[in-house]
Amino acid sequence: MKKILLVEDELPLCLLYEEELSAEGYEVMSVHDADSALDALKNKTFDLIITDIRMPGKDGVELIGQIMGLRKDVPIIINTAYQSYKEDFMTWAADAYVVKSSSLAELKAKVRELVKD
Amino acid sequence: MIEKYSIYFSEVQKEAPRQLMLLSIISQGFVQPFSMEDNLLVLLTALTSGSGVGFNRAMLFLKDGDTLRGEMWLGPRSAQEAQNIWEVLSTPGIGYVEVIEYNRSLVSESQDTLSRRVRNLRYPLGGEALLIPALPARDKDILLVKDARNEPLVDPKFLEIIGVNDFVCIPLLARNEVFGEIILDNAFTGAPIAPMDIKLAVICALIAGNYIYSAALHKKLVDAEKMAALGEMAVFVTHQLRNPLATIGGFTEQLLQPDLDEEKKNRNLRIIRDETKRLEDVVYQIAHFLKVTLKEPVAFDVRPILESVIESPEIKIKVKRRGVRLNVRIAKCPPQVLCDPTYVGEVFRNVLENAIDATPAEGKISVLAYAKNEKIFVLSVKDTGRGIAEADKAKLFTPFFTTKEKGMGLGLPFVKRVMDACGGRIEVESREGKGTRFRLLFQCQERSATP
Repeated sequence: MKKILLVEDELPLCLLYEEELSAEGYEVMSVHDADSALDALKNKTFDLIITDIRMPGKDGVELIGQIMGLRKDVPIIINTAYQSYKEDFMTWAADAYVVKSSSLAELKAKVRELVKD
Repeated sequence: MIEKYSIYFSEVQKEAPRQLMLLSIISQGFVQPFSMEDNLLVLLTALTSGSGVGFNRAMLFLKDGDTLRGEMWLGPRSAQEAQNIWEVLSTPGIGYVEVIEYNRSLVSESQDTLSRRVRNLRYPLGGEALLIPALPARDKDILLVKDARNEPLVDPKFLEIIGVNDFVCIPLLARNEVFGEIILDNAFTGAPIAPMDIKLAVICALIAGNYIYSAALHKKLVDAEKMAALGEMAVFVTHQLRNPLATIGGFTEQLLQPDLDEEKKNRNLRIIRDETKRLEDVVYQIAHFLKVTLKEPVAFDVRPILESVIESPEIKIKVKRRGVRLNVRIAKCPPQVLCDPTYVGEVFRNVLENAIDATPAEGKISVLAYAKNEKIFVLSVKDTGRGIAEADKAKLFTPFFTTKEKGMGLGLPFVKRVMDACGGRIEVESREGKGTRFRLLFQCQERSATP
């Protein structure tokens, strides 16, 4: 089963994404801040990372920078309420940028596209 | 004794040397909150003000891309009208504002005025063989034209419109860039154009040019600042709305699936209810922030209000939950503090709650209220919390800026609004990792001499 690391501080949204992505056949591990995400990456391998940007503590942009430093070849999807971070140079390092919406269609499509069989 | 001093157009005209008068018209005109068009009208007014002084008529062209476009032409249409206007302007009691108002009617679009005759004129500023009036604007030259009829450099169609043989062309410069041109003549008095008149006109044009340039620049700056603040606000509001909306939408989608069990259905409905409540809170807080209407500050004893905030269950619970120590010292006889009594408690609560939120368990918060002197009352809230990051200091009072997970970013902007309205001040000192001190400085009503 393909593994996804989900970094999201909004608990209801976390639950929603976990359920919906599990239903698509993925194993989802969710954490609520950047430091926990880095811990998880040290011990486990993932096929995809989905991260929020605005979180308490380190933000998603900083997290992406540190993941790049780890030199792990893992695709990253930014999933955020902010359109504006697209202009942030660091977010270009991500493979996809999805703005949170009431439909999960776009997020699911990007997940399918980026998780290789 | 105080005497109110009014300056009348007609008197200045009689007494002052014309240099002084021109400068006074320009400076008086430009301190009025006029538009760019009105400022140009002030310039033309200064140049054509009254009989014997200045010019009879002033024509204005503005640079529009690569062409010079006729904008207005100020002056009488005939010798008879000139006489009437001069009489009106010499009436005692006529001030600058009235003159500008009167001249505005002379350049108005709806009437058959001189302005109408120049409004559709266009002269390209590029290309070869340029003629007057385009020539002086292109070369930044002041040109005195005499005997125009026999001058091949004057555009014949233009000559027909202006209808005089002697006139002077002065380019309008702002920061050494041409933005227009004025053309002046003495069509009705027939007086020769004197070198001194040209010098004065050039000085006026320079003052006007620089003024118009800085006014335009200022407007641009203000607009840019407003847009930037609005953009930042929009970003924060968007975030506050998108998260609950995404949650509601996602869980509703699940509810529409036919095979969802009862337990999950109820759970989803609860989540949707909670998130809707959250959206409501966002809307309520924005509406509350926008609708706060501040009244004239009044003088009153703030001590009971400050004490009631300290004693309120919300603060007590917060202090306990957080595990911080709260020290309060409110001076016994605070002077009559000037503020809005409806909001002073909320102001204090906002600052105090911020301090509690920023301070870890075992941390200390000190509230001090005292009269610094007869005029200033200080309310100080100091914490040993995480402090404010250097980068965030400038944004403290920007609506919707927040570093809190659940904050709306409307607390300190509200505090600032109230303090501004009562003539108070806010001082913030903060060191990251060490703590923050907020000081609210209120003005006090001075004690009256009578008992």
